[in-house]
Amino acid sequence: MYKFDFFKPDDLHEAERIVATNAEYKFLAGGMSLVPSLKMRLSKVAGLVDLGDIDSLKGIRLEDNNLIIGAMTSHETVASSELVKTAIPALSWLAGGIGDPMVRNRGTIGGSIANADPAADYPAGVLGLKASVITNKREIDADDFFVGLYQTALYSEEIITAIRFPIPECAGYVKLRNPASRFAVIAIMVAKTFDGVRVALTGAGSHVYRISEAEAILTKNFSPTALNSFYISSEELNSDIHASAEYRAHCFKSIASRAILISLSETGNQKLS
Amino acid sequence: MKESAIKKIGIGASTPRKEDYRLLTGQGQFSDDFYLEGQVYAIMVRSPHPHAKIVSINTLLAKNLPGVLAVLIGQDMMDDGLKNIPHTPFGLGTADISIENKDGTPIRISPHYSIALERVRYVGEVVAVVVANSVEIAKDGAELVEVEYDILQSVTNTREAAEPNAPLLWDQFDSNVCLDAVLGDSIKAAQIFDHAEYVVKFDTVVQRVTAVPMEPRSTLAKYDPNTSKYIVYTCSSGAVRVKNDLAIVLGVPPDYVRVVIGDVGGHFGARGMLDAECVIVTWAARKTGRPVKWTSDRSEGFLSDYQGRDLTVSVELAIDNVGNFLAMRGKNISNLGAYTVSFQPLQKGVEIMTSLYQIPIVDFHVQAVISNTPPTRPYRSAGRPEVMYVMERLIDLAAFDYGFDRVDLRRRNLIPPEKLPFKNPFGMIYDNGRYQEAMDLALRLSDWDNFEKRRQEAVTRGKCLGIGVSNYIDTGTGAPRERAEIKVQADGNVDVIIGTVSTGQGHETSFAQLLTEWLNVPIDNVRILTGDTAFVKVGGGTHSGRGMRMASIVIWNCVQEIIDKGRKITSLIINCNLEDVIFEDGRFIYKETEQSISLFELAAAFELRKDWPNDLKEGLFSISDITNNTPAFSYGSHVCEVEIDPDLGTLIISGYTAVDDVGLAINPMIVDGQTHGGIVQGVGQALMEQCFYDSVTGQLLSGSLMDYAIPRADSFPFFSTAISEVASTSHPIGVRPGGEGGTTPALGVVINAITHALSGYGVRHVEMPATPERIVKAIYRK
Repeated sequence: MYKFDFFKPDDLHEAERIVATNAEYKFLAGGMSLVPSLKMRLSKVAGLVDLGDIDSLKGIRLEDNNLIIGAMTSHETVASSELVKTAIPALSWLAGGIGDPMVRNRGTIGGSIANADPAADYPAGVLGLKASVITNKREIDADDFFVGLYQTALYSEEIITAIRFPIPECAGYVKLRNPASRFAVIAIMVAKTFDGVRVALTGAGSHVYRISEAEAILTKNFSPTALNSFYISSEELNSDIHASAEYRAHCFKSIASRAILISLSETGNQKLS
Repeated sequence: MKESAIKKIGIGASTPRKEDYRLLTGQGQFSDDFYLEGQVYAIMVRSPHPHAKIVSINTLLAKNLPGVLAVLIGQDMMDDGLKNIPHTPFGLGTADISIENKDGTPIRISPHYSIALERVRYVGEVVAVVVANSVEIAKDGAELVEVEYDILQSVTNTREAAEPNAPLLWDQFDSNVCLDAVLGDSIKAAQIFDHAEYVVKFDTVVQRVTAVPMEPRSTLAKYDPNTSKYIVYTCSSGAVRVKNDLAIVLGVPPDYVRVVIGDVGGHFGARGMLDAECVIVTWAARKTGRPVKWTSDRSEGFLSDYQGRDLTVSVELAIDNVGNFLAMRGKNISNLGAYTVSFQPLQKGVEIMTSLYQIPIVDFHVQAVISNTPPTRPYRSAGRPEVMYVMERLIDLAAFDYGFDRVDLRRRNLIPPEKLPFKNPFGMIYDNGRYQEAMDLALRLSDWDNFEKRRQEAVTRGKCLGIGVSNYIDTGTGAPRERAEIKVQADGNVDVIIGTVSTGQGHETSFAQLLTEWLNVPIDNVRILTGDTAFVKVGGGTHSGRGMRMASIVIWNCVQEIIDKGRKITSLIINCNLEDVIFEDGRFIYKETEQSISLFELAAAFELRKDWPNDLKEGLFSISDITNNTPAFSYGSHVCEVEIDPDLGTLIISGYTAVDDVGLAINPMIVDGQTHGGIVQGVGQALMEQCFYDSVTGQLLSGSLMDYAIPRADSFPFFSTAISEVASTSHPIGVRPGGEGGTTPALGVVINAITHALSGYGVRHVEMPATPERIVKAIYRK
């Protein structure tokens, strides 16, 4: 780890002020990706502004028909929240399947989506559920948020404060885990939202993205068998030592169908594994 | 303590482990926990290339960094007269079987540099070391070391490395093939194969894996210029070998090096011999005049720990019309890595290639090749899991190809008890055992007969269920010399000094149980002292299934001498005939009067006088120093059941049954623990582990736990284990190896279960690691 300055303000405005003082300062959320990267000297920062003491960034609440989750809410908090389990069981399930217990107790939803790892779970949740990302400056639609490999629409001094999840009619999330990292080899969030049917795929490309052809089919017939003769092309999918692009493409149909089945079951993800 | 209570914690009792309180409350003393006043830190500069000439190394910038004490390279080490790391490529004992080059030339042995000289031969090889006041400064310094490389063509794949036109690693060798030998009778084998009713063929690679011990390697060394002596705190399975090898490298008498080993968090073969960094740190301590510490991080471990397996096999089995095995032939190629550290995985595998089956004729070609990868050495049962996997797959393939029943084939060809001791076609003599009973018990415990019901139930859930069985035999030899020194102290303790160090096996408990049983002393009063060459003079390490086997022999010998001495001392105190004193239930008893004295009372009484005859001057003390090359063979049978999701290729292990014969189980709970860990390690290889070297770039692509998959607790069901205890006839105590039986059959049994599950799709074989993708490909492409 290279030397860096460290700040831990308990106020959002103070965090904004500090980060503005140096272009090389960065925000630190749960640190589950950034800290290992710093320890291995793969990243270098002039300073970290730790958001962990800012209470206004934490918590889960229901507002109209939206679930509002503070950016610094841990995965474990989301996974065990009765509110989330009732409103969007698929999201609770998603959070409970991230990493391991240590990661789930440190890692945060805001940190995960700001990092935009191509194989992370939350981006599929945000995009598949047509959520929006609330920052200290604006509210960004999920469709505009993830723009590339570890790339988001965020400005450098912008802080995610919360995520707004409109409660869907139904949703299901299924992940094929990498046996080592337990990130997604491929994972899919399928949801019927106010905006229509959405199918978001993570782990297979440079960043999470939607499969519009599958969405069109499911809009007409939202059933586990609807995708039986649908295939995605392996072109441009990721290939690595854990899975080839062909294998990822092969898995799409099964995983999407299971997500649909789960979304239609009464208890959603809470019942089926 | 009452007698009955002591009996319950002696041999055969699942006594709770004495060391666990210390280890589980953070009071263990692992290698990185040692601290010396004024210590400084070493960081290694490692090669980013698999094969390159070192054109120049510029250390000036690094040396000028404030806080950096030294920057040293390989030439500095040579200038100081340090020797290369000594190898015993065929092990420390008499080789079980003789292997020589078929053309009569000497086996090629490479030097093993601690720091690369002129050329790097694998990614991660050390090219320089930076010593600084802190780890962070040393890392800054390491980044400032400028190494100019002239990149050479590299080769990591075994078959490619063995090719005549492969890039050569060592200029003095005309080929990367260091060992090229033939075993058996090729003419007889050819005759049998020409006329055999059935021939089964199998080509496979038992992929390279690494141990991933929970405790990374670490060494802290100090040099005293006044005495010219070194003290080295490190982690290994025995202190004596590290001491002797370090003394050779440093060019000093062995007594000038003291090695101290505390608790060790895992070994598995990876830390069975001197490692380069241990040499570098010890030498750096002399160069800098400061205690120097180096602790590996996980990434360095993946790059530079000694690795395991990597055996490429082509094999055939000839079978007659009713299923009798007639002959076996093939070729085994072991990938040694860049240095010829160990031929043992190759040798110790092929010598029991026929496992516990009667196969009269063999014809084997064995090769060991060097490649641009880290050196390999024995890894949890050197060579045996590889060949047991091959044999057990061959049997299931015979069943698949020709319609035999796989259990009948095994039963028909297993060596029956009346044919033991049995000389296998490579010349290995198996001691004794009831191989078929072990298999029958495993089949029964796994509810093999009701498998079909379970399979049909799984079909209703869209899943494919498969079940497999694998038998195994495992040679235990390893370092043949062990020594125990036992003293019954007047303060009421029995001190046992022994060479072998626990690397997680619970010796403080299981060794103490022997003394509890044989001397009838409370277990808490037995102190197992090990790991420090200040008092451990001789002794091997914990490997090759030798820990309890060797310890039980030397401890038994010492106990007999201590009882004899106790009887003599008692007879002198009472002034009676020696024959009238007996030792029973921890007391020396004068038969005439039934007067008695306890062991510890006698030890105290001994101290009150000085006029003992010469042979009793040391009191209740004994040394046993033995050399035992005779193997005790552990054996057993495992059954595995898997449930596969045919759409995704994912699987769960739905059942696992293990029957292992350990001769005599001193502590069944500890044996079960060893079996559990062994199964997990073997299943890891079968399903997910692999040191993945890119065939084009030679780079390691599985360099962290984010990419190197190891099994976790949630990947397994509860295991069903049973211990068989047929005492080995190879030594008086009867103990057989207990630490490797979990792993040895696990590779084969998992793949047998998987292929059985997929047999409905016509799948003949799935290579290891049997990842979901490989399973899907097997189903869809056959």
